[in-house]
Amino acid sequence: MGSLLGSMAIATGALEAEQGALDATSNNVANVNTPDYSRQQVILSENAPIVIGNVSFGTGVSLQQLQSVRDPILQMRIAEETQAQGQLNAYVSQMQQTQVQFSSTGGNDIGTQISKFFASLQQLSTNPSDSSLRQAVLTAAQNVANAFNSTARNLNQQESSLNSNVTQDVQQINTLTAQIAGLNQQISSLQDVGQGAGALIDQRDAAINQLSGLIDVSEIQSDGTGLTLTTSNGSPLVTGGQSFALSTQADASGTQQVYSGTNDITDQIVSGDLGGVIQARDQTIPGLLSSLDTLAGGLADGLNAANQQGFDLNGNAGGNLFVPPPANDQGAAVNMAVAITDPSLIAASSDGTPGSNGNVANLSAVANQSISGGGTPSQYYGNIVFQVGNDVSNSTAELTAAQSILQQLQDQRGSISGVSLNEEAANMVQFQQAFDAAAQIVTTVNAMLYTVINMGTLTNP
Amino acid sequence: MSATRVNPYPLPDLLAALEQVQAREQNDATEIATGSSINFPSDDPTGAAQLSELTDESTQVDSFQQSVGSVNSLLSTADSTLNSVIAALQTAITAGTEGANGTLSDSDRANVAAQVRGIQSQLLSLANTSYQGQYIFAGTANVQPFVADANSPSSVTYNGNADSNEVTIGNGYQLQVNLPGSQIFTAAGGNVFQSIQDLITALENNTNIGNAVTEVDNAYNSVNAQRVFYGNGISQLTSQSTYLNTEKLDLTQQANTVGGADLAAVASQLANDETALNATVEAIAKIPQNSLFDYLK
Repeated sequence: MGSLLGSMAIATGALEAEQGALDATSNNVANVNTPDYSRQQVILSENAPIVIGNVSFGTGVSLQQLQSVRDPILQMRIAEETQAQGQLNAYVSQMQQTQVQFSSTGGNDIGTQISKFFASLQQLSTNPSDSSLRQAVLTAAQNVANAFNSTARNLNQQESSLNSNVTQDVQQINTLTAQIAGLNQQISSLQDVGQGAGALIDQRDAAINQLSGLIDVSEIQSDGTGLTLTTSNGSPLVTGGQSFALSTQADASGTQQVYSGTNDITDQIVSGDLGGVIQARDQTIPGLLSSLDTLAGGLADGLNAANQQGFDLNGNAGGNLFVPPPANDQGAAVNMAVAITDPSLIAASSDGTPGSNGNVANLSAVANQSISGGGTPSQYYGNIVFQVGNDVSNSTAELTAAQSILQQLQDQRGSISGVSLNEEAANMVQFQQAFDAAAQIVTTVNAMLYTVINMGTLTNP
Repeated sequence: MSATRVNPYPLPDLLAALEQVQAREQNDATEIATGSSINFPSDDPTGAAQLSELTDESTQVDSFQQSVGSVNSLLSTADSTLNSVIAALQTAITAGTEGANGTLSDSDRANVAAQVRGIQSQLLSLANTSYQGQYIFAGTANVQPFVADANSPSSVTYNGNADSNEVTIGNGYQLQVNLPGSQIFTAAGGNVFQSIQDLITALENNTNIGNAVTEVDNAYNSVNAQRVFYGNGISQLTSQSTYLNTEKLDLTQQANTVGGADLAAVASQLANDETALNATVEAIAKIPQNSLFDYLK
């Protein structure tokens, strides 16, 4: 048989439980606008009954825990997609700067200058001894060299400024991994004593997301040591309470390489901002520079050879029109320079007579010569423009896709973990009503106890 | 939880949509402002590469057209010079025929001889015509081609050479732009200067004047035949110029097809985007401001 005092205990327990539940609601409402906050759910459970005789009496409710509602798998998908998005974002923003060099809108691009140079040769053929036409060819040659110089110089500058992006990214990564390791420690100590660590886990998720925006992160959740984070190639970032800082070191050419301990992991970083920056710095821009070098070298070699076939205005055999590029063409674009300043040294003549234009045809023919198998200079350049444009356009499309996937995942996360004010209001009403009811029971039991206590007391006659 | 929860924060989605529409609008505005649908290679990579090559071809056509113009002036100068040469030879023939008339006194013949001497120096000056600093009858030597020379039987020495230049006026289309002076003025069987000198000698000595006139007549025919070269050249240039104009037009149209903004389409796209923008903004404004809390008393 139950006791009144037992009922009283059940009711007061209920009061405590409902009050605790209201705490959760209150906390949820307070954090309605906190990013990365996961709403708390109240887990109530029925207490173990006591059996007296044949009857089993319930012993009320207790507040088991306030559980943060989150989907760890979804969280990992978000982190993954954030890595892809971070990489594409960094890459696209760099390549957008790069492609400006190859836009023909201003008319100062390499392609336009090459066309103008050959046009000036064409004019020279109509009056090969005319000094102003010769000067025009020389000026056009200078403009070609300038266009190559400034484009290559800008690419070189972009490449070296990306080095500071790399060091900044690595610093941020180290700050975040240290922070995550600290949180890991706190979380595992709370979990050891059986307490919910929802708020800390939220913070850690937020830090992992930030980290994912910077570098590729693989997450291993293990029971013993808590959370382990590595890069996708397995270099450790965080193991439980310990973080492993990455470092940067400039190589012989001044390029900042990323090290995990003593291992150079630069080439293996493919995601996050760092991945995008490294791709632009180590692959795309050097690729473009090398194409420009090939074009500049091929053009200079071809025109030099053609000029040497003819005779200048003084009847002497022609020399170099451009400073000869190195045999491997390395740096040919940035160092391209016109070798002559005297317009009479342009070898227009094929027989040494000043009025002959026979060698102009040889010079002009360079416009139709293949540059290392990649078509004429104009086609070769057109192909570079295509590559840059295609690269930007593809990665922009990928970025848009990654963004919308991330958006969807965030939506999904919101639908699971986000705080709904309507829901909280409903919960509040529910908890309040339960609280009111429990309080009513306390009052009633109190009255009954009073009745019991006064039982047998003589009433005044 | 029975009902499916929805994401209580639709705002980031809507803001992302808003940004997309705004980015599209900006792109449209740039297209309208520049009149070009390819403002950066990434706008249309294939088109950008095509455009780069079309620009190159177009620059080349322009330069061919410019060459056609310069060569045309050169050939016209040569043609009209030869026209004067022919007229001068005509006058010399008339004078010679007059001198051959046996009724003429010695002094009258001397006058005719003096007239032909005048023609001789006129011809020398014509044969040394230059155009923009280049002697047009010197072959490729670019020196004064004909120099008076008392020791030479023809009274002149040719200092030019026998070469000629070609100028490209189209893809794979080379036009020879000059004939060496030796071929025009001192050709065997039609030597202008020799025939004139012979006529002067004949008039002064009153011997074989008829033969000398025939010699000048041969020179006249020879120059006339050579002049056809320049006439042909000019007519080739004229038709090439027409062709180049067509090609230029064609290239411009191609470039416009590849990279020109379709203004009507872009403008209507812009209007659509504006509508989408307004709709999105309205949607954002209509996100419920109230929750159940507002209704609890």
